[in-house]
Amino acid sequence: MAEPTGAGVQALPGKTGRKRRRDPIYHAAEPETVKVYVWELPVRIWHWVNALSIFVLFVTGIYIGNPFVHAAGSGDADAFLMGWVRIVHFVTAFVFTLGWVFRLYWNFFGNRYAIENPFRRRFWSGMWETVKYYLFLPNRKPHYVGHNPLAMLSYWLFGVMSLIVILTGFFLLFEPHLDTAFGRLVSWMFLVFGDSFSIRSWHHVFAWLIILFVIVHVYMAVRDDLVERSGTISSMITGYKTAKRAHLIEADEDAAGERKTLDVG
Amino acid sequence: MATAVKRKTIYEELREQGVTRREFLKIATAITMALGLKLKMVPTVVHAMETRPRLPVIWMDFQSCSGPTESFIRSYQPSMQKVLFDMISLEYNGALMAGSGTAAEEHILKIMNEYPGEYILAAEGSLPLLPGALTIAGRPAEETFREVAAKAKAVVAMGSCATWGGIPAAKPNPTLARAVTDFVPPGVPFIRIPGCPPIGEVMTNTLAHIVIFGTLPEVDELARPKAYYRHRLHDKCQRRPFFDAGLYAETFNDEGARQGYCLYKLGCRGPTTYNACAELRWNGGLSWPIQSGHPCIGCAAPNFWDEAPFYARVVQLPGAQTTINPERVGAVMAGALAAGIAVHAAATVIAKGRIAKKPDVKALKDIEIGQ
Repeated sequence: MAEPTGAGVQALPGKTGRKRRRDPIYHAAEPETVKVYVWELPVRIWHWVNALSIFVLFVTGIYIGNPFVHAAGSGDADAFLMGWVRIVHFVTAFVFTLGWVFRLYWNFFGNRYAIENPFRRRFWSGMWETVKYYLFLPNRKPHYVGHNPLAMLSYWLFGVMSLIVILTGFFLLFEPHLDTAFGRLVSWMFLVFGDSFSIRSWHHVFAWLIILFVIVHVYMAVRDDLVERSGTISSMITGYKTAKRAHLIEADEDAAGERKTLDVG
Repeated sequence: MATAVKRKTIYEELREQGVTRREFLKIATAITMALGLKLKMVPTVVHAMETRPRLPVIWMDFQSCSGPTESFIRSYQPSMQKVLFDMISLEYNGALMAGSGTAAEEHILKIMNEYPGEYILAAEGSLPLLPGALTIAGRPAEETFREVAAKAKAVVAMGSCATWGGIPAAKPNPTLARAVTDFVPPGVPFIRIPGCPPIGEVMTNTLAHIVIFGTLPEVDELARPKAYYRHRLHDKCQRRPFFDAGLYAETFNDEGARQGYCLYKLGCRGPTTYNACAELRWNGGLSWPIQSGHPCIGCAAPNFWDEAPFYARVVQLPGAQTTINPERVGAVMAGALAAGIAVHAAATVIAKGRIAKKPDVKALKDIEIGQ
């Protein structure tokens, strides 16, 4: 991806100046604020491909579960409405699956904002402060340039929900021929999820949980954009978020795993 | 019902009944075909029938409606039926046998002692965990079952009650009924023939397979014979083209129902049910539920009774015995979530307004930390 160049590019503030592998890129904007390159191009592409595939999968999935429109005509020999809807659902499902695999890969090779480390006390105390923040309670939530811990948790849950929908979905895809090579890849799910009816049920329930996630996710993004003025929504197109310089230092210290007294204002 | 098992081979018994060698070979070929074997396997079947004696079968009913027995005796393919009764020796069956009382119960003991490890225990119905819920000849059924199963060559669970618990185990399960397969002693192989009832030919052919090969047929993850339970009804259904076309009956009386459209929207369980109905059909291949215009209720699937209502597309809440309409419940949850979000958004606006009105230092600091 194209890295911003020129006078605006800065080394990590408060550090030795050596750029580490997973460090993001900073742009000075105004005296007190910087623009941070948070979402790299592959992440942004993945985000929108994923969003589109969830939309397509949801609409086609609702139709497959409850065919609300009938094929035109009656007994038309070349009607293939459900067939086409299923084909669109299956092809999109492969896109969604590949996206899932890519995003897992990107956790390890993206910049620091690709994933947060949950094995730190600070992650969980930050989550508690974030919960209090969203409940309008007095809190000491630090400013997070990337994901706050609560958001990160919701993305992990989203990843697990996606995995369950993907697994059960592939079972349903290969269900007509369980004794083939592909069928054998999925027939073990009888022992995990139960019989076919149960597997189908898991698929429906988790699809709906993903939709609930999407609703919360969109609300949180809009809210964050309006309340924080951080450019959250545009950041998923441009990649850049706006942050106060002071916040950035704190966030970077946080990312480096170092304790630091909150020094905001 | 035979009162004593002769150790003559099947072939010898057939010859005694006046079957010629030529007729015998025809029968063996018919059996080979009925079992779905290659024509090359005819010599194997002939050899088995020439060398193996009839298979003693003890058929016990527990918490059952005797549906599997009723279906078993309606195994059509007439030439098959006769042969199969010549291939097995049904020693005990509560519904069919003439004997009763002590004589019948003692006959079980006789078979157990004479043919340990050779007889098949065909079990029908579920077994209750509630003490005293089911006694046969004065003994707890569970005790008798364990005893007879322990010496059996294999246990064949006939019907959905024996395989999954079925209707006795459906909510609220007053007798704490369980599948008989849960009571099979370790080391004794078992096979599941689900269905309410199972197709007669599936039961007779499974027994025929055991006679000819001396082993249980190949089974799937849930111990069902693959030959009959590896495919869904949905994938073999004669109405499937209407499913793919997007043409569905909405009610039992509409034009779609008259045209023979797919019964998916009437709650057909074909997409989740594994059985051979679409291929073997019922009553000698005459018809089967979906052909006759009734959606499948999934009687061969575990917990089918608790997956009601039968005439609606529902899914089960995992871990619960509650079915829901996923679209309706999902939409309600999404609506509730949207309402919650509206409240939260309003609270956000109010909180910001309050902050703007009171610019005292402490509050401002809190809020800036909050942000």
